[in-house]
Amino acid sequence: MLRYVLLKTGRAVFVVWAAFTLTFALLFVLPADPVDLLFDPAELNTVPPEVRAQVAGSYGFDEPVLLQYLDRLGHALRGDFGSSVQSGRSVSASITDVLPYTLLLAAGALLLAVVLAFAVAVLATSARQRWLRNLLESLPTAAVSIPVFLSGILLLQIFSFRLGWFPPFGDAGWQSLVLPVLTLAVPVAGPIAQLLVRSFATEFRAGYVTTSWAKGATRGRVLAGDVFRNASLPALTIAGVTFGNLIAGSVITETVFARKGLGRMTQNAINTLDLPLVQGIVVFVAATFAVLNLVVDLVYPLLDPRLRAALATDPAGAEPVAGAAERSTA
Amino acid sequence: MSDLRTVLENAVPRRRKWPWLAAGAVVVVVAAAVVALSRGESSGASAAEGTPVRGGTLQFALIDYQRSPDPQWGTNYAESLIGNNVTDKLTWQDPETGNITPWLAEKWEYNNELTSFTFHLRRDVTFSDGTPFDAQVVKANLDQYVHGDPALGILPNGATLLPGYLGTDVVDDHTAVVRFSQPSASFLQGSSFTANAQPGFLSLSTLKLSARQRTDAKKVIGTGPFVYDSWEPQVKTVLARRAGYHWAPPALHHDGEAYLDKVTFNTIPEASVRTGSLTSGAVDATLDVSTTDEKPLTGQGFRIIHRGVSGTAIHFALNASLFPTNDLAVRKAIQLGWNRETIEKAVLTPSYSIAKSILEPSVPGYADYSGSSLKYDPRQAGRLLDQAGWVPGPDGIRVKDGKKLTVKLLGINNLVANKPAYESVQQDLRKIGIDLQLTVVPIPDYTAQQAKAKDGWNITAANRSRNDPAVLNLQFSPAGGNTSYLSPSAPGIDLDEVTRTLGKLETTLDPAERAQYAKAAQDLILDKYALANPVYNPSQVIAQAPYVHGIVFDAQSRNHFVNAWKSDGK
Repeated sequence: MLRYVLLKTGRAVFVVWAAFTLTFALLFVLPADPVDLLFDPAELNTVPPEVRAQVAGSYGFDEPVLLQYLDRLGHALRGDFGSSVQSGRSVSASITDVLPYTLLLAAGALLLAVVLAFAVAVLATSARQRWLRNLLESLPTAAVSIPVFLSGILLLQIFSFRLGWFPPFGDAGWQSLVLPVLTLAVPVAGPIAQLLVRSFATEFRAGYVTTSWAKGATRGRVLAGDVFRNASLPALTIAGVTFGNLIAGSVITETVFARKGLGRMTQNAINTLDLPLVQGIVVFVAATFAVLNLVVDLVYPLLDPRLRAALATDPAGAEPVAGAAERSTA
Repeated sequence: MSDLRTVLENAVPRRRKWPWLAAGAVVVVVAAAVVALSRGESSGASAAEGTPVRGGTLQFALIDYQRSPDPQWGTNYAESLIGNNVTDKLTWQDPETGNITPWLAEKWEYNNELTSFTFHLRRDVTFSDGTPFDAQVVKANLDQYVHGDPALGILPNGATLLPGYLGTDVVDDHTAVVRFSQPSASFLQGSSFTANAQPGFLSLSTLKLSARQRTDAKKVIGTGPFVYDSWEPQVKTVLARRAGYHWAPPALHHDGEAYLDKVTFNTIPEASVRTGSLTSGAVDATLDVSTTDEKPLTGQGFRIIHRGVSGTAIHFALNASLFPTNDLAVRKAIQLGWNRETIEKAVLTPSYSIAKSILEPSVPGYADYSGSSLKYDPRQAGRLLDQAGWVPGPDGIRVKDGKKLTVKLLGINNLVANKPAYESVQQDLRKIGIDLQLTVVPIPDYTAQQAKAKDGWNITAANRSRNDPAVLNLQFSPAGGNTSYLSPSAPGIDLDEVTRTLGKLETTLDPAERAQYAKAAQDLILDKYALANPVYNPSQVIAQAPYVHGIVFDAQSRNHFVNAWKSDGK
């Protein structure tokens, strides 16, 4: 058991270290000298060499590569990723500053997406009219195919500029969260709803449902009592997988609604080649995923007696049931 | 499976329809908004200028955000705008005449060599923490501004603005002497500079802070008409009126404190959201108006105010050391071979103008070359290329010694008009047998490529914001890192002549002499050696509600809000 824990922990640490090392390598692979990027491009030619040297020195870019690497790694271990080249702020402070805003947006959107998806699936399955069912069943595909950018602007035009119900930009209270959450939830709800509609339809024709019918249950009762629970599990799996999309979607949503957030910060950091900040973000995200995976790996044997048994006989070879582990972390 | 197939089949036409439905809805909504607003606003506009009203908060929108509240650091528009309202400069440049007029310095004199400038400071100026503004502060600021402070992580931000800075002598509390190792006529304009990494004065307590500590906006103390109220990166910066301020530049004729209580700089990256926020009243004014939005906004009763960005025009700097732009005939043909009217009509709005010199019209010493080297004359361009031995090849592109007349351009996509303007030039040049290849990229990619431009790019296209003719010396002198890569390997160019002619701009402040030297410099760059092909003059464009007044564009085309007021006072 101990060996199993060490193995899993080691893997998590490796993932984070690899993320750090790869982003560090970017520093030397990219075409740009990070020092050049600090100056106005129009003035780049007029920067005296000694000034350039001083700037390189103050970021440590003039040291030998290995020394720079070890120095940065040492600091990173203490949670210090240096200062953002573009703002001079500490990288860790910059990330922790914007993180809650993105988490709130993503969590809100996921919650709403799940609710929307269930609503569509339940309505589609319970509808008796064929045309209505077809319409409802095609909604998820439509939701996926509208660009976030377009739906965001559209919502702004109607509910903000026209009706004035919600502020068009910024982070002023819950009102300014409504439209971004809705924008982000719609495309995320699409795939979840698609899957739900399918499994609802499948379960609806299952043997146990026929039994319920035979016992005289109504359509609504079959739906609520039998189908709903059994059809929901795969959807929860995909809801987890969707979390990645949620983070990606937040980049556009945060830009359209001028919101503070990790997505926009990442985009900015990449656009401006702000390498310390990029490195901090990549390592942070990698660490989050690694820790989540680790927790699942460690909790799984506690939940699954079969795995516990396998660990007892062959500690090294034991792996959690693949699908189950992915379901809970991705 | 057949169920899924049905779903997909049903969804396909819907998928195609949706964007159209959405676009249709947008059109309807926008049209409705236009109708509603144009009806309501016509009466409001009549309450125009008049006596300024005190109070109120101006909600201002722009595309960038302030990455750090330290005004001496920032290089984007948000940073220079905000810095201008939190700090003051030694002098104020008149945006109309280009004259340098008093501000924190009441008067000044300089030696004949222009290596030493003595400033006599106002005695009544204080920082917002109550400490006095004096010669000691000037010295401490300029020293750190030029040299940086490695221990504090402060970069040498001012090194490019004040080349050759030796130091500042404190003669007495209110007299400071700034010394240079070389004639520096352009320093006087530099003392009023309000754009990138500006020399706005910070209190001694701020200068002691590290770069990280200066991201606490409340600790960044200036003498300006506003003080920091709050700073939220990515979102907004709020400034509040400085109590007791009474040293606005005399040229602005503004007595006492700013009129507004607060100015909020809202960052809105998306153009349609900026415009929508303005039309819906969520903001009072917005910078970074797209060229396509100017006309509709005017139609709805909003006012467009603008000023060309002083300095050089957006120009092609032609690499004189790299084939084929090392051929004078090719450089001249590029100047003559494209139709300026096409760009004026198709790409620019009345807020912009086509370039008639390498200098922007507001720069002192500007001369007009639209009738000579910068006119559209494709025949003359063709003749020059013929004479130089460039013969049309099978695909229409000219060839010489088996090599094609292919010209590689590196440009920045930060201004919406850049790419369409370059594409128009490209089309015209193709007609005379020049293959102009465009690479127009975001700023960091441009910067990364520019470091290798000497051997890789025939043209780098950008502008430089500096309202002084000496900008030509900074940009083109072989003594500096010139953008045309004048070197001994550049054929037919007398490097000494260029160095001397451009260098003269730093040796005198006599307006008549400077105008003469500026003309000589433009003659050299545009006529004699054809080192640059100016394209258009970029502009800063603001759209504002009819009740907004008094936003000032300074000589560097940055904005000041000390004079701004809202007639509703809200």
